Amino acid sequence: MKDDELLKNEKVEKILSPHPLSFMRFQSLGLFLIIWGLIIGWLVNFSEYKDMFTNEWITIMVWGIVLLVAGIIASLVTIRWSIFFLYFAIFLGGVGLIIWQGWHSTIGTFLPFYTVFISIIGFLLVEGYRRSHKYIISNQRIIFKGGILAKHERTLRYDKISDINATQPIIGQIFGFGTIIPISQAGFGLGADKSMAAGGVMLGEKKAKILGIFGGGKEVQTPMARTYYELHGVYPYKEVKKLVEEMVQGNVITPFQEEQVAFQKEQVDIQKQMRDLLKMQSDSKESNVKDNNEEES
Amino acid sequence: MEGSPIDIVIFAPLAPILAVLLFWFIQLLFIESEKYLLEKIRPKHKPLCRFTNFLGLLFQTICHALGFTVTRSGISDFYISINYGKVAPKKKKKGLFEWIANGFLFVGPFFIPAFLLLLCLFFLMSGGFEIVTPSQLLDVKYTFAGQIISFGTSQYAFSEGFFGFLFNIDLLHPSHLGFLILLIFFGMGMRPSYIGEERKEKVNMFYDLKNIWSLIRYKPSYLLILFLMAYVFFYISLFLNHSWYVALFSILGWISIISIIALVITDMILILIKTTDELPGFWRFIPFITIPTSYILIRILFYYFPSDYTYILSLLIMILFTISITYLLLKYKTNKFKTSIGIKWFKKKRKGGKDEG
Repeated sequence: MKDDELLKNEKVEKILSPHPLSFMRFQSLGLFLIIWGLIIGWLVNFSEYKDMFTNEWITIMVWGIVLLVAGIIASLVTIRWSIFFLYFAIFLGGVGLIIWQGWHSTIGTFLPFYTVFISIIGFLLVEGYRRSHKYIISNQRIIFKGGILAKHERTLRYDKISDINATQPIIGQIFGFGTIIPISQAGFGLGADKSMAAGGVMLGEKKAKILGIFGGGKEVQTPMARTYYELHGVYPYKEVKKLVEEMVQGNVITPFQEEQVAFQKEQVDIQKQMRDLLKMQSDSKESNVKDNNEEES
Repeated sequence: MEGSPIDIVIFAPLAPILAVLLFWFIQLLFIESEKYLLEKIRPKHKPLCRFTNFLGLLFQTICHALGFTVTRSGISDFYISINYGKVAPKKKKKGLFEWIANGFLFVGPFFIPAFLLLLCLFFLMSGGFEIVTPSQLLDVKYTFAGQIISFGTSQYAFSEGFFGFLFNIDLLHPSHLGFLILLIFFGMGMRPSYIGEERKEKVNMFYDLKNIWSLIRYKPSYLLILFLMAYVFFYISLFLNHSWYVALFSILGWISIISIIALVITDMILILIKTTDELPGFWRFIPFITIPTSYILIRILFYYFPSDYTYILSLLIMILFTISITYLLLKYKTNKFKTSIGIKWFKKKRKGGKDEG
């Protein structure tokens, strides 16, 4: 962080980045591709079942079906259909390349290399994305920075933090990293898990048709933020969590302090009133003295 | 049928039980060695130790949950972290049910991971699952000696098949490689004891045995019931002239053998980690890179020059390569063998010191 970005009397306590394994949910997509690429290579070229793959379209079908089924399962588990579309794009890319370049005869070599190559690109992208994150914890605020192409930045003052959510998955417990979401008073850092159910009825067969749709939904508020708006996968987790909590504690006024402030205000008001009274008294005395002097003269 | 009635009625059922207990004790010794090695490497490999701790707790909690499920107590709370695991029943049952649930907790981690590996081996191994009674022993099959020999023979047959599979394992075959990974994975978690982040009390083999002993002592009548059940099962096998009784204990023996092998392989890996810790910087990764690199290179060589012993030779050369490279690195990159400064120099120095004195 450059010095000119710092505020007056601001001191940087920690500059953090996410742990290399904190994006495991994305990395696991690439890991699956590597494993599947190696297995398909073994199946087609070396296994006892290699005779089944003499027809190149059977190989493409097996490769594609496993890829798409894995995509559907991963999408359902994570509730992110982008994973399925990503795998679908990889499948279409592979088939497109085979047809375009006429690599039908070398499919046993092409498919494993293509799958592993795509996974390596995936790993590099995830690593690039991870490295784009930067979290700066200063004595006055937390600055979140992230994004590869578009740069996202969020600044949060400690006195605006109403709640802190901290999560440490199993892999985080093993390697000592975790995610901390500071929730602001405005609700920044909160998201919603939605579930929907809908049903439809259609009556009539030939002429008159009545269509009715009924449905229902449920929304649960939960701490949730983009990785560049939270302290995602920070290491060492316990130390960072303690630091943030201490900073928040140091900047938030406690009930006792509130009482003290109210009491001091009261004291100031009383003092003001007394000063006004004294002033009034002294003014009246002065006017009396003046009047007497005038009378005497 | 030969053999004294006392032998058949009283001692014969005990034979497989004692044999399994012996296997179990050997397993405990290897668990102890694994714990010792883990404690040695803990300062430099905290994540690995946390991982093994998590695996141990995972198996332990799963076994406990299984105990509550079997006893129909239900599960109200299930929680696992890297240093704590908790399973609470829905209905707190007392007596025999509680005893069985605790039995699952203390004894389950010894057997359940290895049982899963045994299931995998059914698909991978070509033979070795036979319960054989040597023909010359058919007359004394139901005596103590007959039972122990039957048990031993089936263990030998299984060991032969299992070692044959392990020595001829094809690490470029996905299912074989997957099995080896599982073997190491389960080997790391095959501990019934909890090892905390900080060592607060002595949690070792005696601690485990103490737990099991207190379980037995808590309700000795239940143990008696278990023994009675074993005896009844033996008599049924005897009257129907089947080897069911030996078969049951043979399976427990196979499980113990798998556990011991898993622990031995894990120990070897831990020893390699401990040894390479002495190497400076990047050099410590070289032995680990050597393992897959040497294996793949040898397999490529055998692809062009086929041999009947491709798998075993590849495995042996890989192990030899790894050991040699580790040795050479230790010799030239550290002073482990005290070769960088000659002993003569030390002697001279000492002599010089004495002369000066």
